[in-house]
Order: sequence, then structure tokens, then C-alpha cells
Amino acid sequence: MIEESIEKLATLLQGKIPDKIETEIITNEEHRHLATMLNQIFEFMQETHEFIEPLSKGDLHEISMQPKNFLSSPFKELHSRLRHLTWQTEQVAQGDYNQRVDFMGDFSEAFNSMITALDNNEKQLKRKIDELEKALTHIKTLEGLLPICANCKKIRVDDDNPKDQKSWSQIEAFLTKKTNAQFTHTICPECMKKLYPDFSQG
Amino acid sequence: MFNQERDYNKFTWNDLGDLDQGRPNLGMKIPVLFYRLLQYTWRDVMITELGVDKANEIIIKAGKLAGAQFCENMLNRDLEFNEFVAQLQQVLKEEAVGILRVEKADLENMRFILTIAEDLDCSGLPTTNEVICQYDEGFIAGIFESYTGKLFSAKEIDCWASGDRVCRFRVNLLEDY
Repeated sequence: MIEESIEKLATLLQGKIPDKIETEIITNEEHRHLATMLNQIFEFMQETHEFIEPLSKGDLHEISMQPKNFLSSPFKELHSRLRHLTWQTEQVAQGDYNQRVDFMGDFSEAFNSMITALDNNEKQLKRKIDELEKALTHIKTLEGLLPICANCKKIRVDDDNPKDQKSWSQIEAFLTKKTNAQFTHTICPECMKKLYPDFSQG
Repeated sequence: MFNQERDYNKFTWNDLGDLDQGRPNLGMKIPVLFYRLLQYTWRDVMITELGVDKANEIIIKAGKLAGAQFCENMLNRDLEFNEFVAQLQQVLKEEAVGILRVEKADLENMRFILTIAEDLDCSGLPTTNEVICQYDEGFIAGIFESYTGKLFSAKEIDCWASGDRVCRFRVNLLEDY
């Protein structure tokens, strides 16, 4: 039995899971007990191996493992954390920036910074879009053909009756109404010459 | 009032008292050991007096009551599910109850898989080949019930005590059972 056990352990150390030792045929009670325990180790190793292999390829399907398999428990914990991260990433992808990763060392910090950055970037983008939309609205208010009097330069408001004098307004009044611009009145040099020649000489 | 005979539960958050007034020097926190001392001695006595099944039933019911009151008083129930979970995760962390992680959330069918690491009840206990977080089962179900207004069941499928290093719970709408 000892010889068989050594052989099985050697197989295990070579990276293969050995077949179980046949305990029924062992007559010595101590040897049978040892063989049973070795079989348990082989079983744990097999179970752990079967679990880690898909996990190493990113397969996070639900797993069931026998209790007391202490070899696998850290991997179960890792499996649980990865499944949680997968769920959190899905939520972030859908725009939920409330998610935070706790107690996963440097990864927590990196992941949480990423979420904060995404959140800030999105807020900044939304602000920019908002500003642009507002600017676009202003542009729209001034686009198209404006009917303007060739002589007095008054502008006709929208589709009002062209024969009604009330439809025509000063350009300052028109622009103030349509945009946020405000006017301050002054006189250009040419008009100054015409209107106030005495003052314009200097 | 506490010792009043009754056949219905009347526990509310107010029964916990005003701790600022009552413990001005010692404050809010006690070591986990004392929490466990309370929980595991009660469990032990209940098992000897009532049997395992009845003891677990009582522990789950108590957990449910606690979960519902905790949700009502410590959480904002108006949040959308994801925000609610983020809030729950944050509060459980701040209160040092455990590290909550959602593994799966099927909102359509109301089925969830959650884990709690560093769980207040069991993390670090000797491996005994059994799941023992019945109080958590009730507590989680109570939170979900209070949040959704529907009946829930939470079943522990992995536990530190069963050698799994993490407590995993399957939470389902009760109609599924």
C-alpha cells in the first residue's frame, strides 16, 4: 500500500490527478485510514483543478464544490469577486456611476478612479452639449431671410403684415428681442463729421 | 413593554434607544466578539431548548425583522435598484457588518445572488461543513421585503463555516418557492 501511495503522490506531483487507492482491499486499519485521507486529497485536487482551469479562461459560471475543500476556498473567493466585478462593470456600462469596488487593493483604487473619471467626463460632455444646444437655438433665431427697409433699415418681424407699420421695428429692438445682445448708443466718426462738424475736427 | 405577552412582533427601531444619551462615553461600537457571544450563546440555548430546526426558524424570523427595520431606518428606499444596492454596500461597510457584493441581479424575475465577505456572523469560525448564517438569511430577506414590498426568501449556499471563505446567498421572490 505504501508503495502504491508513493506512486500516486508522484503522479500528483507531476501535475496529474491519480486514480483513487482501492481502500476495500486494504486489511491494515491504519493503512486504510491513510489511503482514505490520500483519496480525499486527490479528490480535492481534482475538484480544485477542474474549477481553476475554466476560471483562468474567464469562465465564471456557477460552481459547486464540496465543503471543507480548503484548497479551493481562496479560489471560490476570487470567483465571487470576479462575478461581482462583472456585474458592476455591466452596471457602469449602462451609465450607473454609483458602483464602487471595496477592499480589493490597488484594483479598487483603479476601478473607482475610472468610474469617477467616467462620471466627470460624462457630466462635462453633457454641459458642453447643453451650451452648444443653447448656442444653436440662438443661431436658429437669426437664420433665414430678414426683410429690411432699404431706406430706414427697419426690420419686419417674422411673418407680420408688410403693409402695417407696426410690423417694422428698429434693428436694435429686433436684435434685443431675438438674442441676448444689448445695445449702447454712440456715434461713428463719419456721422460725427456730418452731424457735429465743429466737434469732429480734432 | 418589552416583557409584554404578545403573539405578534412589535419591534421598532426606537426600541434600540437613544445611544448618544445612553452611552456618551463608550459610544456606539462594541467588538465583534461580544456580538458573536450574544448570538452563539442564544443559538446554543435555543437549540437545546427547542431543537435545531425551531432555533433556526426563530433566528431567521429575527433576522427578517431586523433587516426590515434596518432598511426602513437606515436606507433610502426610493432609490432605483442599482443605487439602492450601492447604498446598502456602503452602509454595511461603514457599519462594519460585512462587504456586500452582488454577483447577479435578474430584476425581471427578482432573483439575485449576493455574497458577504468578512461577515459579522461567521467569518473566521472553524470549518464545520455546514452553513450557519441563518440570521443573515433573514436579514437580507427583510431588506428586500422592505425595499420591494414583496415577500422574499434568502438561502445561504456557501458559508465560511462550510469552508467557502465567503458567504453566498440566493435571494428569490417567495412565489418562486
